Amino acid sequence: MTLLAILAMAALVFFSRYVFLEPKLPLRLAPQLQSMLGYSGPAVLTAILAPIVFAPEDELWVAADNPYLLCAILASVIIYKTGNVLLTTVLSMVIFLILNNLVF
Amino acid sequence: MNTEVQIMPNRHSLFMQGTIAMIPLSVAVIPWGLLAGSYAIESGLSPLESQALSAILFAGSAQLVATGMIKAGVGLTTMLLTTLFITSRHFLYSVSMRDKIGKLPLRWRLALGYLLTDELFAICGNQSEQRFEPWYALGAGLSFYLCWNLATLIGIVAGSYIPALNELGLEFAVAATFIALVIPNIKNSPTLVAVLVALVLSVSLNLIQFEGALMIASIGGMLAGYLAETITRRA
Repeated sequence: MTLLAILAMAALVFFSRYVFLEPKLPLRLAPQLQSMLGYSGPAVLTAILAPIVFAPEDELWVAADNPYLLCAILASVIIYKTGNVLLTTVLSMVIFLILNNLVF
Repeated sequence: MNTEVQIMPNRHSLFMQGTIAMIPLSVAVIPWGLLAGSYAIESGLSPLESQALSAILFAGSAQLVATGMIKAGVGLTTMLLTTLFITSRHFLYSVSMRDKIGKLPLRWRLALGYLLTDELFAICGNQSEQRFEPWYALGAGLSFYLCWNLATLIGIVAGSYIPALNELGLEFAVAATFIALVIPNIKNSPTLVAVLVALVLSVSLNLIQFEGALMIASIGGMLAGYLAETITRRA
């Protein structure tokens, strides 16, 4: 029974991921909708990352001792200067782990 | 035959590049994979069912909620409606990736569609149609799938012995990677507006614990970007 429920939910999740990838689905997006979708990447990623940075403990935390916020600013500076995604992630993550677990 | 030989290393290197691009997100997901596994066992699921959640359903947040619902013994209809709500953002990813994946052969569409998580969309969503490479996307998606399932397995087996990894703050890797992917894309004011609106909406809606925060904040950001674009074009 549990396995059946898992399969049913899996079918639903797969449907939501696949449905618009199907070329047989007649879908012609209005140009307005297409240009809206052009902002989907930045908008979705920001919507996911913002609460991690500004409210890591489910409360608004805008202060100089919030390591998430400090290292997010650091990451922004590094990517702006270098354009290197992996370097940005690794460097800001190392400094974050030090600040979060050893300093604050 | 000859072309096949020439293509192989290219495929391989694209696959590896995708895997490498995904590493930060694969690492960040480990604590949640461990949690998904140990929480499923704690909730009374068998080891097989617990692993099936990750191996078949393969959806972090939907999995944790599903586990809670199975434990609480809610009906299938409620389960499916809740899942539909959580998974609704994937429709957005699916529409956005239609130009890139829709023209590929069926086996590619099925594979990449199945692997289309937040994380894969983060890595490939910003790529232009010309820059999009199926093997790169497969490397990113498949390595992430394996990492998630391996973490779940460890969670199932070692459950209660694992120290609280989630207190380390590994989820910052998600923020750092996404920042690195978003900032270079802010090349004009409409994109900046989209990012700022999504940011403010997402933080505020999360603070009041609004259920569909991610979806509303994303669509709000996209709408704001589009409106800013129309205004700047007219000016």
